[in-house]
Amino acid sequence: MDPLKEIAFDQHVIVTLPSEKGKIVELKANGSVSLGKFGAFYVNDVVGYPLGTKFEIYYEDQVAGTEEYAPLTKRDTKKVPIGKVRVLERDTSLASSAPNVSTREGTADNVELANVKSSENNRDLINLGSEIQKMSASEIEELKKQSMSSNEIISRIIESHGSFDKKTVHSQEKYLKRKKQKFNKEFTIDYLSSSALLDFLIEKGDIQRVLDLSEETMGMLLNLANVRANGTYLCMDETGGLVVYAMMERMFGGTDCADAVGTIVVLHENEHANLDLLKFSNYSEQFIGERIVTVSLLDFFEPARVEEIESRFQPLPKEEVFALKAGKKNTYYRKLKWYKTQMRLLKYTTDVAHDGLVVASTLYLPELIPLLSDRVHGSRPVVCYSQFKETLLELSHVLYADLRFLAPTIYETRCRPYQTIRGKLHPLMTMRGGGGYLLCAHRVIPTDPEK
Amino acid sequence: MSCFSEYRDIVQEGELVLLWVSRDNIRPVVMDHKETFNTRYGSFAHADIIGKPYGSQIGVMTKSSNKFGFVHVLQPTPELWTHSLPHRTQIVYTPDSSYIMQRLNCGPRSVVIEAGTGSGSFSHAFARSVQKVYSYEFHEVRYQQAFKEFEDHGLLRENVTLTHRDVCQDGFTIKDGDTTSMPLQEREPTAEIGATAIFLDLPAPWDAIPHLSKVIAQEGKVGLCCFSPCIEQVDKTLEVMEKHGWINVQMVEIQGRRYESRRQMVRTLDDALNRLRDIKRRKLEGTERRQRALEAVGPEAVAEEMARVRAVTEKSKFNPFGKGSRVKEGDEHYTWKQVTKVEAEIKSHTSYLTFAFKVMDRTRDSDKVDKILASINGES
Repeated sequence: MDPLKEIAFDQHVIVTLPSEKGKIVELKANGSVSLGKFGAFYVNDVVGYPLGTKFEIYYEDQVAGTEEYAPLTKRDTKKVPIGKVRVLERDTSLASSAPNVSTREGTADNVELANVKSSENNRDLINLGSEIQKMSASEIEELKKQSMSSNEIISRIIESHGSFDKKTVHSQEKYLKRKKQKFNKEFTIDYLSSSALLDFLIEKGDIQRVLDLSEETMGMLLNLANVRANGTYLCMDETGGLVVYAMMERMFGGTDCADAVGTIVVLHENEHANLDLLKFSNYSEQFIGERIVTVSLLDFFEPARVEEIESRFQPLPKEEVFALKAGKKNTYYRKLKWYKTQMRLLKYTTDVAHDGLVVASTLYLPELIPLLSDRVHGSRPVVCYSQFKETLLELSHVLYADLRFLAPTIYETRCRPYQTIRGKLHPLMTMRGGGGYLLCAHRVIPTDPEK
Repeated sequence: MSCFSEYRDIVQEGELVLLWVSRDNIRPVVMDHKETFNTRYGSFAHADIIGKPYGSQIGVMTKSSNKFGFVHVLQPTPELWTHSLPHRTQIVYTPDSSYIMQRLNCGPRSVVIEAGTGSGSFSHAFARSVQKVYSYEFHEVRYQQAFKEFEDHGLLRENVTLTHRDVCQDGFTIKDGDTTSMPLQEREPTAEIGATAIFLDLPAPWDAIPHLSKVIAQEGKVGLCCFSPCIEQVDKTLEVMEKHGWINVQMVEIQGRRYESRRQMVRTLDDALNRLRDIKRRKLEGTERRQRALEAVGPEAVAEEMARVRAVTEKSKFNPFGKGSRVKEGDEHYTWKQVTKVEAEIKSHTSYLTFAFKVMDRTRDSDKVDKILASINGES
């Protein structure tokens, strides 16, 4: 199964709920996934469908109180009954298809509104608060217990709304959208791209964890750094692996590939690198181990010497290895592995001129960047991300004075989303602020004018 | 291999390099040891550049003024190319192109359709990042120019197929007899494209959208981005997108800015007050002196005295901000505050980006799933 196109077993995917919130889920064979008030489904029922498919959870032939799908009681609210799923043939996500007034009757969307009267304006609409709704909350709960479909519930709510016909079409649509977000049992399963992962973290409130990085800044970072399949990149990533995840997407395309050559050397300031977010990726641990080299800053700036490594271990000729006894052979191979790791680290810390430097770190940049750039090949980009323009400003002044850097420039990019409804196009009234800044320079090799 | 897809170490004869003269002057040059690159900062013999590592600063002493002039030799990247390319049309700049690539999840497994080719700036960025690019240009001269450029850059040999075509009228399928860079053997009977991402930079994208269903990947989710400057175009695009089953529609705008790093002199209130005190004091001293001189002797002596005094006070004048003299920004005799300044002219509107997605086939192969399940459950 192709985990880039189809929903596959053992894959991490992002499930989008009617509330537009996302949830990262690992699809374990024979398992089930609970979406809280939106219901639950069996993994086996969704695997094999294309990524991007929208499903609806439904509960077949059930009367309240049957044993199989016991209704929710106050004591048992955590246990969500697992329903069946069906593919929604016509995706009616409202952002896309809120119809034009004149064409409303003709479309298949918002059938709930098809036979409802509306008003030219809201002159006759009087705010009576919750009294206008004749159904009580407990009555609605009762409908839910009967596992009535969300469309039916919403229709009942509209029917019981005292002045629904006094609302304008636009306001009716907004009302309907709110109710759908609350009662629909629909969900979409999508590929967990770096953007989706970032989105998920932001929504979860982990903005500080990703240093306030925005999708547009992340995209620009990847382009400015010229990240591609065949480079070796030096990287510091304080976002828990998001930047590395995004670089890997550009380098390897989302799953293990046999002919991969690119490498990311990740420097870390703690004893171990924090690439926690890579656990959500589709790459095998082995693949990640091959393509990502993690080195502590200390080992990077004060690497072990070859003699030191070789004084502790030296590979034996093949014949001698064959001659070893079983127990000794194991010890030998364990040490050989250590030796190979050390030699590999040495190669990436001393021999390689990197094809780019990508830094998202809160260490003091004016000191860090000139030192790291020693290991960057001429003509290759040096790209730093910071949440604050001022830290990059200070860095840029230092780089200006250093002839090894060409044209350091601070970039800002901001995406402004619009309400995308025909006839009602306008920028959203609120959006997330922030998003950080980038500094990009090219590593160059100065010449001495005296010569 | 193309200089856009291979990392190179040393500049060699015949290679396309970018010579960086200044921020606004980056020149694409093909290395030819018989040639010279002339600028007002000096003449640079290609022979002096060939053999140097990429990134090298190339310096000359100009004969006339005996000044040190230099350029930097860089290996082209799509982003640098954007600043050096010959403009055939409006181009898509990095803030927009990088966002579009990120949003459409472009990577080594993506197959991209781009129409029109235009100046080919975005084609280079796509070609760097994706498996395959199908680019379409309806303007014949621009097609030919792009063809030559992509061929020179090695893109056509690698992963770009360029076709002369009005996609709004004739769709995207490449057939035998078309004017295209696609090799003949690949063309018959019709080339399978299977695009996973589409970028439409056309005046009327709504005419092209209906043709897409034939050429997009039948499996998985496909992304589309329309790049239109006017909001009326967006409205028409939305109508057609909806009609043809494109979902999750969202329009956004990207605003990119570049900042200059500058310094502003720190001028304290105390210094300003002290300067005023100094002026006042000297004025007072001058008046007293003139008075004294006038009382003592005649007007000639006054002029003489004043000249002497002026010469002395001029030097002792308290001038903390270097008024009247040319102070260079960052002069170490003064204190400076680091500041940023946005470019004098910003691109306040490039275009609206309308994104939409489509899943062609919403079914699954249940037998395949059952088999996989059986093997999983059998094992455990």
